[in-house]
Amino acid sequence: MSRIGFKYVFERMPELRIVIFAGKGGVGKTTSSAALSYKLASMGRRVLCFSTDPQASLSDIFERNLFGKGEIEVAPNLYVLEIDADKRIAEYVESIRRKIKEMYKIDEIPREVEDYIESAVAEPAMYESAVYDAMVDVVAEGKYDYYVFDMPPFGHGIRMVAMADILSKWVDKIFEARKEALELDAAAARLKGEKLLEYEDQMLKELEYIRGRIVSFSRLITDAKRTAFTMVLVPERMAILDTEKAIEMFEELGLKMRGVVVNQVYPPQLLEDPRAPDYLKKRVLAQRPYVREIYEKFRDLIVAVIPMLNREPKGLEAVRIVAEELWESSLDLGALEALTGR
Amino acid sequence: MGERKGLGFLSRIKDAISEAVYGIALHGQVASIKRMKMYTEYLFMLMTIGDMMGIPIVPPYYTLRLLPYMVPNIKGWKLRMLRERDVTDIISG
Repeated sequence: MSRIGFKYVFERMPELRIVIFAGKGGVGKTTSSAALSYKLASMGRRVLCFSTDPQASLSDIFERNLFGKGEIEVAPNLYVLEIDADKRIAEYVESIRRKIKEMYKIDEIPREVEDYIESAVAEPAMYESAVYDAMVDVVAEGKYDYYVFDMPPFGHGIRMVAMADILSKWVDKIFEARKEALELDAAAARLKGEKLLEYEDQMLKELEYIRGRIVSFSRLITDAKRTAFTMVLVPERMAILDTEKAIEMFEELGLKMRGVVVNQVYPPQLLEDPRAPDYLKKRVLAQRPYVREIYEKFRDLIVAVIPMLNREPKGLEAVRIVAEELWESSLDLGALEALTGR
Repeated sequence: MGERKGLGFLSRIKDAISEAVYGIALHGQVASIKRMKMYTEYLFMLMTIGDMMGIPIVPPYYTLRLLPYMVPNIKGWKLRMLRERDVTDIISG
């Protein structure tokens, strides 16, 4: 009963296909993503591990340059996609510019339009939207058995889920406004005996497309059967607060947070080990209040515990160690309870 | 020849009459329809690329897809939206 690990999550959720790791920077999201992907791939499933980190952490972990290189197989069945969101945005915006130039047969974008494009690109929401769009893309392609997402620290992400409903209604309203404009156009053309020449159809198609993307993203995140949204945290004050806030936000939106992964926990055996240096024992004790807090606040949500490793998880060998801990944690809830010092 | 001339004359008269009818009966209507269309167009733009006026609505990542269709209207729209208004504007509607 107290055994924990992703093995049990997958047993409980037979349709689970998408695992999302979220959390503050530096808590081990990328490591967890890499490790779980590795484990699933080692069981013979095709897995895509997706990251967007501009610091290219997956490249660090797998010790090869993957950033912006597309889907690369780093181990049998394990594909890694570390997207270069900035490049993606640049290409996307360039395609918009090209379209404008072609539509109006002009060589230069009008100043006021160019201003708008530039300010849109500078928005932080742009980066996130590009990432989510890429997420929708890879899942829609459906080439893999499992998708593991290393989510960038979110802000707009959750808001986008909250907005999916509103945006869907917004598109409805826009549709009405558009149709009204179209009718007026048609009426004027009829009275004047002119032919109607407009891009209306394409515009309505674009609107439909936008709605489709936003709704798909919302479904991807909120699907209770296929998706497990997981937060990674470490026994530290800020990480705990952040997780609490995220859970609250989730509940407000009526979403289900599947669980939390507790990373960097010093094993309790260290306290009894006569060979363990004093400073390590001190650290175990220093962690205690936070482990206790985590245990008390998130007990029912804990899906895995990763012990503190001797070294930074780099290379496939280290990933394998973390993978085993994620799959079936050596520190179970009992061990965690022991760590709380009660 | 004379007949054709007559026909040309008749068709000119027909054109003139139809233009007069259009002018008397329809032009006002067409103009007001066009004005309404302009308002719906501007409303639409406000609802989509409102962030150009500082009203954030939808992630710009997606509204950019609509931008090309609005290019011809943007200048007029911005002028209209950002124009200073005074009492005479309100009185004259």
